Amino acid sequence: MVIVMATNATVAQVDGTREQLERLGLRTYLARDGFRAVIGCPGDVDAVTSKGVAALPGVEAILPWRAPYRLASRQLAPRGGRTVVRIGDGPDAGVGGPALVVIAGPCSVEAPDMLLETALAVGQAGAGALRGGAFKPRTSPYAFQGLGVEALRWLAEVRRQAGLPVVTEVLDPRHVDLVAEHADVLQVGARNMQNFPLLAEVGRVRRPVLLKRGLSATVTELLLAAEYVLARGNRDVILCERGIRTFEPATRNTLDVGAIPVLRRETHLPVIVDPSHAAGRAELVAPLAYAAVAAGADGLIVEVHPHPETARSDGEQSLSLPEFAALMRGVARFAWAAGRTLPGVQPRRQEVAA
Amino acid sequence: MTELDRWRAEIERIDRALVALIRERVGAARRAASAKRAAGLPTLDPAQEAAVVRRAAALAREAGLEEEGVRDLFWQLIGLTRRAEQQPSAAAASER
Repeated sequence: MVIVMATNATVAQVDGTREQLERLGLRTYLARDGFRAVIGCPGDVDAVTSKGVAALPGVEAILPWRAPYRLASRQLAPRGGRTVVRIGDGPDAGVGGPALVVIAGPCSVEAPDMLLETALAVGQAGAGALRGGAFKPRTSPYAFQGLGVEALRWLAEVRRQAGLPVVTEVLDPRHVDLVAEHADVLQVGARNMQNFPLLAEVGRVRRPVLLKRGLSATVTELLLAAEYVLARGNRDVILCERGIRTFEPATRNTLDVGAIPVLRRETHLPVIVDPSHAAGRAELVAPLAYAAVAAGADGLIVEVHPHPETARSDGEQSLSLPEFAALMRGVARFAWAAGRTLPGVQPRRQEVAA
Repeated sequence: MTELDRWRAEIERIDRALVALIRERVGAARRAASAKRAAGLPTLDPAQEAAVVRRAAALAREAGLEEEGVRDLFWQLIGLTRRAEQQPSAAAASER
């Protein structure tokens, strides 16, 4: 249940209300909006307790949860407050704030020089973070599986040289601490969205988590997966729409643009979009990226490779370095139209007017 | 030694003191559990735990610390203590 405190409730009354629930073994979470406190209690509360809490001093109203997800729910974000997940040092490194954050880099880390070349180029073009796979979940067991620990070391080194925070996927719950030693953001991939032991592990470490929507997962299932991470105490979850499996083979997946406004209505967590996996082909990445920004996405994660034709994985959907710079100039126009900014990228005036 | 090195050394000193205090706290809680058992009382006491967290939150506020973070820490600490209470032999070994 959600307990809405009166605007004039005292700190002691808020404390007392929480204690009343916590002494029954329930956990409580507090959200404030400057005017009032809202207490979320995700556990099941019986009718007698609920009545007792409603009668406590300072309590204005008791509301039931509207959806199965609770800590991810907008009900814990009164007055439209949104969670901003900080992934780096800079003033614009908050995902969910006014600035869009674009994460770019190769599908998989292949060598230190290609990683550094990509990092410097995407940083120059305005990217806010570097992506790169060290552990790759591949459909076929015979496909390239990533370079593992060696790739993590290169990511950490390039992170230092290029000054960009690093996003990389963690596949195995046993690798969570290892990946957290090298990366700024832990990615849980689409195929692992409902790997509950992995979700619990990334919930335990205090690193931002980029949670990708499963190929066949509903929005509710995505939010319940996020709930696993939140319930373990890690509040920094970034959701990622990356296309879902439909009957349409013309694109690798079908980008569910509608999920973006739905998620923004349902949750306070930031939402980014991966147009590369949705498109499956480089020439479709830009229009899908523009659609995502226009629909209210808080950022993008894009596959970029210095030589897409020789990439060891996902080359057909990777942008070259000049193509990525052009994408960023285009995204800046849509960011402007959507009331957002894209720091470090100035759309040309005629482009804005176009 | 640079200023950064000095602050890192200071943080290490505080961390060592914190771990020593946590060890002390676990030991005290284990003795409280024995006392409860001797008095025929249940060892798990959610009401007492909730009161401990409330007190910690109030102290955090007074100290100008982020209250929710301190609450989280104390719930973790309570979890740690509970597990130690349930394994008296392991806790006893750690005290030697």
